[in-house]
Amino acid sequence: MAKQKDNKGSQEMTARLADRGFYLLGVVLFMIVWQIASALKLFGADFSESFSPLAAMLALFEMIKNGELIHHALPSLRRVLTGLSLAIVVALPLGVLVGYFKRIEQLTYVVFQFMRMISPLAWMPIAIIIFGVGDVAVIFLLWLVAIWPLILNTSHGAGRVSPLWVNMAKTMGAKDFGILRKVIIPAAVPDMLTGLRLAVGVSWIILVPAEMLGVPDGLGYFILDTRDRFRYDQLMATIMAIGMIGYLLDSANRWLIHKFSWKM
Amino acid sequence: MEDVNSMEEEAMTSGRQVLISVQHVSKTYKKDGREFHALRDCTFDILKNEFLVVVGPTGCGKSTLLNLLAGIEFPTSGSILLNGAPVTGPGADRGMIFQDYALLPWRSVLKNAELGFEFMKKPMKGDQIKAEAMRYLEMVGLGYAVNKHPGELSGGMKRRASLAMILAIKPVILLMDGAFNALDSKTKMTMHQEITRIWETEKNTVVFVTSDLDEAVKLADRIIVLNKDGALEAILVNELPRPRLGSAARDLDFHHRFIAFRETVMNVIKKDAGLRTCAIS
Repeated sequence: MAKQKDNKGSQEMTARLADRGFYLLGVVLFMIVWQIASALKLFGADFSESFSPLAAMLALFEMIKNGELIHHALPSLRRVLTGLSLAIVVALPLGVLVGYFKRIEQLTYVVFQFMRMISPLAWMPIAIIIFGVGDVAVIFLLWLVAIWPLILNTSHGAGRVSPLWVNMAKTMGAKDFGILRKVIIPAAVPDMLTGLRLAVGVSWIILVPAEMLGVPDGLGYFILDTRDRFRYDQLMATIMAIGMIGYLLDSANRWLIHKFSWKM
Repeated sequence: MEDVNSMEEEAMTSGRQVLISVQHVSKTYKKDGREFHALRDCTFDILKNEFLVVVGPTGCGKSTLLNLLAGIEFPTSGSILLNGAPVTGPGADRGMIFQDYALLPWRSVLKNAELGFEFMKKPMKGDQIKAEAMRYLEMVGLGYAVNKHPGELSGGMKRRASLAMILAIKPVILLMDGAFNALDSKTKMTMHQEITRIWETEKNTVVFVTSDLDEAVKLADRIIVLNKDGALEAILVNELPRPRLGSAARDLDFHHRFIAFRETVMNVIKKDAGLRTCAIS
């Protein structure tokens, strides 16, 4: 490398590799600390062994191989995506209207701010009374947690659109619908995507407790199942899987934001 | 002075068709409980195909006047008639070029120039729209940058892009609000040539707001001077022959007349030191 000091391209590449290396190093250090803590039996004399990352990774490979992970991850993803889709269908149009029409914003402001502060888990009994135990109740809770960040971010985006653009569109003969379609909605896309990223995050977090509501599969269900079977290595492996899938979902969102957000 | 102006004004009016008639227009804003007069009893006509420049001190209501003509604001009292009918709102017949660039940052230059067509009641075909948009982008000299986004453009290029965007929908009236402010002098000169050429070929009517007197004298058929109370101070007819830009400007006799007329405009603005609220029509 020293020979190519004047080579800017290779220098940049080295810097980028170094960045990547440090991200990876963080993960490795975390694993090492975790392994040492289990070896020192910091998680209790009896179970520290099965709580170790090595045991968890072995269990994870086993679960991938015998199809158990897929069997539980797919229903979880299906529930989250259904909840999100239904939330998007409701929240984006509503958010645009709230952001664009001042009167609608005033009508909804207090209610929305009030509702978004309530954990969806508080609705759990009501969800079960209305929908019964099963998929629908879980999806309802996921929908309920996803709509607030979507509505609030979309309305924020639609509300801060430059009046200059709106006036410009008006002088070009645009009416309300044209302004919404060609100016307000595209202008709000970056905020919609930010809202989506937040919604995916909270949905994934709420998924686990929601799946403890008596559904027969899913990662949340499997956490309880491994506990009941005293398979703490599998429990840790499921936690790992939940974190990894969540990370991947968030990365997909970051890619969407990078791809579809406009810059000034 | 007033008499001379009104005589000249009448001579102009009688020869050419009145497009917009501004009649006793006042506009007041309420700010912190106090009334603020942006425009005070302004009466004048805008003639078909003329290049009308509005000058006056900062905050005298020049921009307000354009907003009223565009129909995005309405007079507190008085009326504005376009071809004899009152202005009730914005319309594609009046294209406005705003002081700040009003380009949509998520659209390419070409897509921005196509925007006006997308608002039409009977939309044209895609390739037809593209051809029209391209024609005007070429006209303003942006043919080489149609796929760039506004964020990648210099100030001058943004001006050209917003000009093409408005020209493409073929407005009868072009309203320009400080359109060439904040451009470097070379770009400004080019833009003066471009706008003059476009005005001559497209035969639209231009109402151009500026605080640059050189610019006003170069471009205007007539110059409207507003005073700091928002009242009409004078309407001055610019009798300098065209072309006034490029090599023509180097003629010594022309140069003297240019300076003399600019001096006249300057003196009218300076007189505004005292409080006068008369309207000349």
